[in-house]
Amino acid sequence: MNLSTTKRVGHTTLSRTVLVCGLLLVALFLVLLLALVIGSQQLPIRGSLCALTAGSNCALSSEERAILFDIRLPRILLAGVVGMCLAAAGAAYQALLRNPLAEPYLLGVSNGAAVGTMAALVFFGTFEWSRPVLAFAGAATATFVVYRLGRGRTGATPERLILAGVIVTTFLSSAIVFITTVMDATRIRSFTFWLLGDLSGTTGGLLSAAFGAAAIGVVALSLNARSLNLLMLGERDAFDLGVEVTRVRLIVFAAASLLVGASVASSGSVGYVGLVVPHLVRLSFGSDNRLVIPAAAVAGAAFVIVADTLARTLIAPRELPVGAITALIGAPLFVYLLKR
Amino acid sequence: MLEANNITVSYDSRDAVSGVSLRTVAGQIVAIIGPNGAGKSTLLRALNGTVRPAQGTVLLDGRSIDSYARRTVARRIAVVAQEADLRFPVTVFEFVLAGRYAWSKAGTWGWENDLDVEVTQKVLAETELVEFETRLMNELSGGERQRAVLARALATEAGVLLLDEPTANLDIAHQASMLRLVRKRSDDRRTAAVVVTHDANLAAQFADRVMLMKHGRAIADGPPQEILTADLMRNVFDLEILVDAHPISGAPRITPVL
Repeated sequence: MNLSTTKRVGHTTLSRTVLVCGLLLVALFLVLLLALVIGSQQLPIRGSLCALTAGSNCALSSEERAILFDIRLPRILLAGVVGMCLAAAGAAYQALLRNPLAEPYLLGVSNGAAVGTMAALVFFGTFEWSRPVLAFAGAATATFVVYRLGRGRTGATPERLILAGVIVTTFLSSAIVFITTVMDATRIRSFTFWLLGDLSGTTGGLLSAAFGAAAIGVVALSLNARSLNLLMLGERDAFDLGVEVTRVRLIVFAAASLLVGASVASSGSVGYVGLVVPHLVRLSFGSDNRLVIPAAAVAGAAFVIVADTLARTLIAPRELPVGAITALIGAPLFVYLLKR
Repeated sequence: MLEANNITVSYDSRDAVSGVSLRTVAGQIVAIIGPNGAGKSTLLRALNGTVRPAQGTVLLDGRSIDSYARRTVARRIAVVAQEADLRFPVTVFEFVLAGRYAWSKAGTWGWENDLDVEVTQKVLAETELVEFETRLMNELSGGERQRAVLARALATEAGVLLLDEPTANLDIAHQASMLRLVRKRSDDRRTAAVVVTHDANLAAQFADRVMLMKHGRAIADGPPQEILTADLMRNVFDLEILVDAHPISGAPRITPVL
């Protein structure tokens, strides 16, 4: 079966979804392995595989072991989780807001989470847990505000929603500037870097919290994907066809905010992932959200891992923020989508 | 069956519908006719439970429509709105299959079963859309797309069909084919239909009953021959109107005198 042409199949089925997600998982696994050995210092593939599968006497020096397990593995896993969160959230926002341009970063939701995270760092710096919690609160608030601003008397148009996103984004950017200014100067540079997406410096606790949030969010969205399919056709139509619109909207907003909050709290704002990945998934496999959401989650993980690998190898030993790479890929695609 | 008893619906303290009663009858098509802003669409939205009347009741099989879960309502009442505005690539098959949502055994998630696919295929055949089933909705012509919207409503197998200007923007051939499909469904399955329309001539030919509305009120309600008279039509539209008999069907023929 040629997957790229099956968009023309009448409808998506469970078996097709399982097949597509299975293939994407295999691809993700290969990307993950490659990303582990590629870097400013190349690691031997065989030795790394041996060490990863918990073998002893692997042909790996202790320095190489440290790079593999202490630096690359947590970073790559985090990249995967961030990609999963942002791509799944993007797909959900697009379906719910009926807008192919909706994306956490462009809607200002990422900035909302960023303000929450920074507030946590400034005011509750000693509690690591305050970061994801306030990031979620920030993302949820920004989502709510954008949603309300984006709905005019005549309903929400894609352009109006994006404008609302711009307003919220710029407002929150000023808030971020304000917080960074009152911060001490030594931390400003690392913050600027973090704002564009910084995957280094994660801790085991934050990584597992992010992974937990990602799993809950993706499962919650997937369970509501059939309702999202109808909401994508219009809220009124969905209501007429039996969708409890208010309830589904609330669940999807909460789950998407959770995903964005988890990703921003652990890595800053990585933009355009939620735009690029769901778009490519829809282009290849059709618009059924029961396939799009899980497939985007897996493909998003692979996408950010690849982007991060580029970010840390292109000008090695110096690093680029991963958000710079994703924006470089995403912004032209946004223009293309807008022009269509 | 579905009935509205003396309902009043208000928007911003203005009554869009005031004191209207309407009762659907199995196998009967009711056409609602009236000038723009007469409250026709609002009445339809109230019948479906989308807007809540300030006064009066909307009952589905004797119980208030608000007391049902939306999924239950969706299995009994299907709505054909004016043309959908689609922003994502959806195939015709997927679009019509969405009409089966309320029948899902797994609640609001899961996948369509064989019966859902079978019903969808039947409806696509009925509406002559089989050849388009793998096409994307936005590749269809306006007439075909509106037929897909009707197909989705038919796929719900609901006993009541509410149609809001289903033939607006369609040429006369497509208007006729839309209404033939509704008539056929009413005859074959004893489906009740309420059709809001601007076309009094079409209503005269396919409807069993006509209700005239003006300023939110029902002016008259009865068989087309009794309702579509020169006097009543002049009263509702504030325009000199000539009514004679259609040379073939004998139904009232309405011509505005300009």
